[in-house]
Amino acid sequence: MSKKIAFKTLGCRLNQYETDSLVSQFIENGYQIVEFDEKADAYIVNTCTVTNQGDKRSRYAFNNVIKRNIDAKLIVTGCMATQYKDKLEDEKAINFVVDNNHKANIFDLLDSYFKGESFALNEDERSVFSFLPAKDTFHTRSMIKVQDGCDNFCTYCIVPKVRGRAISRPINDIILNINQVLDFGFKEIVLTGVNITRYDYNGLSFHDLIEKIVEIPRDFRLRISSVEPEGFTPKLFELLQHTKVAPHLHLCLQSGSDKILLQMRRFYTLAQFKGIVQKIREKRPDFNFTTDIIVGFPSESDKDFEETLQAIEEIGFSHIHTFKYSKRNHTRAARMPEQTDEKLKTSRSEQVRVLGELKKRNYRASFIGKTQSVLVEKFQKKVASGYGENYIPIKFTANEVAENEFYNVRIIGIESGEDPNLLAELI
Amino acid sequence: MIKPSVEKNVRISNLIDIRKLTNSAFVLRFEKHDLSFTAGQHIALGIPDIIDTREYSIYSAENDEAMEVLIKEVEEGFMSPKFGKLVVGQKVKVMKPVGYFTINKDYLQSKRFVFIASGTGIAPFHSIIKSYPDINYSILHGIRTSEEAYERNEYTAGKYIACTSRDKNGDFHGRVTDYLQQNSIDTQAIYYLCGNYEMIDEAYGILEKAGVKPENLKAEVYF
Repeated sequence: MSKKIAFKTLGCRLNQYETDSLVSQFIENGYQIVEFDEKADAYIVNTCTVTNQGDKRSRYAFNNVIKRNIDAKLIVTGCMATQYKDKLEDEKAINFVVDNNHKANIFDLLDSYFKGESFALNEDERSVFSFLPAKDTFHTRSMIKVQDGCDNFCTYCIVPKVRGRAISRPINDIILNINQVLDFGFKEIVLTGVNITRYDYNGLSFHDLIEKIVEIPRDFRLRISSVEPEGFTPKLFELLQHTKVAPHLHLCLQSGSDKILLQMRRFYTLAQFKGIVQKIREKRPDFNFTTDIIVGFPSESDKDFEETLQAIEEIGFSHIHTFKYSKRNHTRAARMPEQTDEKLKTSRSEQVRVLGELKKRNYRASFIGKTQSVLVEKFQKKVASGYGENYIPIKFTANEVAENEFYNVRIIGIESGEDPNLLAELI
Repeated sequence: MIKPSVEKNVRISNLIDIRKLTNSAFVLRFEKHDLSFTAGQHIALGIPDIIDTREYSIYSAENDEAMEVLIKEVEEGFMSPKFGKLVVGQKVKVMKPVGYFTINKDYLQSKRFVFIASGTGIAPFHSIIKSYPDINYSILHGIRTSEEAYERNEYTAGKYIACTSRDKNGDFHGRVTDYLQQNSIDTQAIYYLCGNYEMIDEAYGILEKAGVKPENLKAEVYF
C-alpha cells in the first residue's frame, strides 16, 4: 500500500510553489497525498517566519501533529526551519529540520528513509532552483520560480537572513520549465521569487526575462504577481501592455509615508510609487493593483498612518494584505526606539481592512458591463468559477464548461460579502 | 553558529589599520580577501563569536588592496564601542558587499553628480570619488563641527563643502538643507543622498520642489 504524505504550507507563493513541486514529486513516485488533518505516514510543514503570526501558525501546525501522537514522521522546513534550525533540531518530536537550501531534497530524504536507505543532505549544494516542475498541484495556475533571496535589506525584514542573498535562475531553465508546464496542460503561468524585479542573470534584467517569456509561441497567460516598485524600465512598462501579460500586479507599498518608507529602507517615495501606477493605468485604466501594507512600524505617527490611508484611497488597491509590524530579531527596525503599541497596531490594521474592503468592492463593481476571460478552476452543479485576467474572482452558470479552459464572459453583477465574486454570463 | 547558507558570504579578516579621525570616529582597515564590490555598496561587519553585525558603507575604493569602513562610536551602542576597542591584528567578520546605491557608469562622462551626506554618510561618496577619479562631482557634508569633516583633504579643492551646524569653521554655517535652500540647485545633476532619514526626507522635498526629477534622486538611509 502506498505511503501517505500530508502537507501544510504557510506564508508566501514561493513556499506554495515549492510545496507544489514536492507534492508532484511524491505523486509521481507512487505516494498518496492526503489532507493535513488525516492520518498520514509523514507530515511536511513548510513554515513562514516573516511575522510573529507566521511563527505562531507554523508552530501551531507542527504542534498539532505532535499532539495527535501519530506514529508518523514530521518534517519541518521553510523559513522558520532556517531561522531556528538549531532550536528545532533539539525538539525530539521533529524528525527532520530542513532549511530552505535543502528543501528540494525532501522527497529524496523521505523516500530513502521509507526504503531504509541513507540520504545525506549536501551542505555545500544550494538547490533553490532544483525543484522539479509541478505536474500535479493544488492549483490551476502553474508557478515558476525565477529568483530567490533578497539584497534589499529592508529594515523590518528577516527574509534576506532566511532566504539568503539574491540569486537569479538562468533564463533557459525558466523557458524550459514554462514549456514543460504548458505541456502538462497549464494555461496560466505565475512568476514567483522573493524580489523578482531584481532579476539579474548574466546581465539580463527582469524586462529581458519577461520579453523572452512572452515570445514563447504558445497560448498562455502570464501573471507577474508580486513585485517591488523598483526596476520599472520603459521596456517593462511596454511589456505590461502585452496581450499575454495579465493586467495585475501585487505591488508592495508598505506605507504611504515617505518618512516611514525611508526608515523601512524602501527604495522609492510615495510619488514614485504613484508614478508607476499612473503610467501603467494611462494605457490600461482598469489595471489591477493589490498590495502589502505594514501598520505600526516603529515611530509611525497618526499623520504617517493617515498618509497610508490616503494613499490606499487614491491608488484604489483591489486587495490589501495588511501586516501588523512584527519585531524580528537581528533586523535594524528591531533596534529602533518608539515601537508601536500592539493595541494601536490592531486598530490601524482594522482601519486598513475596512477601507481595503470598500476599495475591493468598488474596483470589482467597476467591471459590471465589461468582459473578462476566465480561466475556469471549478465546475460544479452547472456553476463555473475562476479568475479573470485582472485577477478578480468570477462565477457564471453554463451547461457544459471544461475546467482549465478560458471562457469569455460579460460581468452582470456582484455578490455581497467581504470577498465578492463577480457574476457573469457566457458570451 | 553561522548557518551554512550564510557562511559562504562571510570572510574573517585581519584588522590591518585603525585611523582615528576624531574622539569618536575612526576608519577600520581590514583584509579584503576575494570580496569585490561596486563603490556605494555596503557590508555587514561583525566580530567573530558575536552574533550581531552592523551595516556600514564601504569607505575605500574598488581597487584598494584592503577594505575600509568609517565608524562613529555611539556611546550607548552595542557594536560600535566593540569595534572601537579592536586593535590591529584582531579579526573581524565581513559579509559579502551588497546594495544598489551605486553609480550608473554610463553617466560618468556626461553628468554632474551632487553628493549630499550627513555625518558618516559621506563614506559611500568617498568610495565613489576614489574609485572614479574623473567623476564630475560636488559634495555637501552636513556635520555639527568642522572637526567632523572626515579627511576633507581627500576631495578636490572647492568640490567639498562642509556645512557645520554648531560652529562657523566650516564652508557654510547651517545644515545641508539650509545650504540647498540658499543656493541655486542644478536641476540637471544627479543627486545622491546618504545619512539620517530626516535630512534625506527634507532634502528630497527641496530638490523635487526645485525641479529635480525623481529618477535623478537616490538615497541610502543611515540610522
